[in-house]
Amino acid sequence: MLRKLLKHEFRATGRIMLPVIGILLATSVAANLSMRYLLDNDAWFLSMLGILLLTAFGFAIGGVFIVSFILMIQRFYKNLLQDEGYVMLTLPVSIHQHIWSKLIVSSVWFIVTALAVILACCITAFDITIIKEILQGLGELFQELRKLQAYYAINGTAITIEMVVLVFLGLVAMCLQFYSALAAGHSLPTHKMAWSVAWYFGLQFAFQIIAFSLIQILDQINFFNWGIFHPEIHLDAMAGIHIGMAMMIFLTVVHGAIFYCITTFFMKKRLNLE
Amino acid sequence: MSVLQCNSLSKRYGKIPALEQVSFTIEPGRIVGLLGPNGSGKTTLIKLANGLLTPSEGEILICGAAPGRATHGLVSYLPERTCIPTWMSARQLMDFYGDFYPDFRRDAAQEMLQHLDIRPDQRVKQMSKGTREKVQLIMVMSRQAKLYLLDEPIGGVDPATRDYILSTIISNYNPEAAVIISTHLISDVEKVLDEVIFINRGQVMLQSSVDEIREEKGMSVDALFREVFKC
Repeated sequence: MLRKLLKHEFRATGRIMLPVIGILLATSVAANLSMRYLLDNDAWFLSMLGILLLTAFGFAIGGVFIVSFILMIQRFYKNLLQDEGYVMLTLPVSIHQHIWSKLIVSSVWFIVTALAVILACCITAFDITIIKEILQGLGELFQELRKLQAYYAINGTAITIEMVVLVFLGLVAMCLQFYSALAAGHSLPTHKMAWSVAWYFGLQFAFQIIAFSLIQILDQINFFNWGIFHPEIHLDAMAGIHIGMAMMIFLTVVHGAIFYCITTFFMKKRLNLE
Repeated sequence: MSVLQCNSLSKRYGKIPALEQVSFTIEPGRIVGLLGPNGSGKTTLIKLANGLLTPSEGEILICGAAPGRATHGLVSYLPERTCIPTWMSARQLMDFYGDFYPDFRRDAAQEMLQHLDIRPDQRVKQMSKGTREKVQLIMVMSRQAKLYLLDEPIGGVDPATRDYILSTIISNYNPEAAVIISTHLISDVEKVLDEVIFINRGQVMLQSSVDEIREEKGMSVDALFREVFKC
């Protein structure tokens, strides 16, 4: 059933996201052409047109991120908590499957959005002398670094992967924070959206208090002098970075899992469609 | 086994009671009118049967099971307002219902759409309010469910559409299933009902077969309703 939910969710979101990505790619082509032929043109009209096309490209990049973000919230709200919820929540599928379908589809669109923006930037930069020179310079810099030591190349790649994983999990946790706030707010009989906003900030505040208290407690019990934190254990800087990244990934997963539990609790036990 | 069973079922919204100690059973093969004035608790009862609300006390069982994922496959539910995704076309809606409900009869749905001159590629948002309601009803009645829960299926539509909706219900429901029609428009539905449940202020006032009402009380369901709920 999850596969079927995903199919219909992609159908519902694709009709919005694909045209937006199409517009982004079209403006990137226009931006490329304007940089090559219009910006330095003697005719003020063509020069102005070039500036406008570049501005449109900037807005398109911002727009595609905003649309994918709004769509993530809107699909959960409209499809499960508004009128469509009467159809969706009476399907023979579990609440977990509903939440996973929304989460997977939002995450896929976040990735597609990032890839589309990278592609659009590549299109914009295609055959532009100054950008070619910058890229050439960066390539030479990386080649020099690789010559220095394989150590930096391997660790650099590992840190990049860790960073990508962390950003991705952070986005998933962010989706779940919005879902949990909407689910909790809509369990109440009146002012559902206002309560959802209150829940969002309430949860944010509660997490900050808990995180601060946890650090205080760990400090009190001398946790930061144990194990790998022991003063006599000297980790090199790179190992420290990897351990730090692993801890941040773990904490992000815990963060997301808590929001997932809150969302499922309210959707299963406190559902209040009106 | 009863298709629908309520045992001392209560639902409160905060301190306001919507249903109080409701108990009744509905057997398969019956068309039951859930009749009551506005705000009497009809929609709350139907939402509880669909698992869209959780009971404050008591229990509600569909074919012996509490509402949930398994019972959703047995129940075909028509909400009181149009809830089908408006961006979908009629064909996409048939794909949707066919994907999730193995008992969905696509050929029956196509036939009814054709009968009403609704193009399969027409989007729901391009349809009139009445057509949307008909499309939603077609999707619901094209299933071979065990229980049909129809919340105000004829509210807000013209008399000709009412007749079409009622004839669609009668000619398409699974004869081994039970149909519950919630409405306050008694005279329109009376002719199709086997049984009625009168509900008022969250309490069941009467459960009786339509024949018993006519024979014992010598009046129509509509006349009895007007007498029981006289202001």
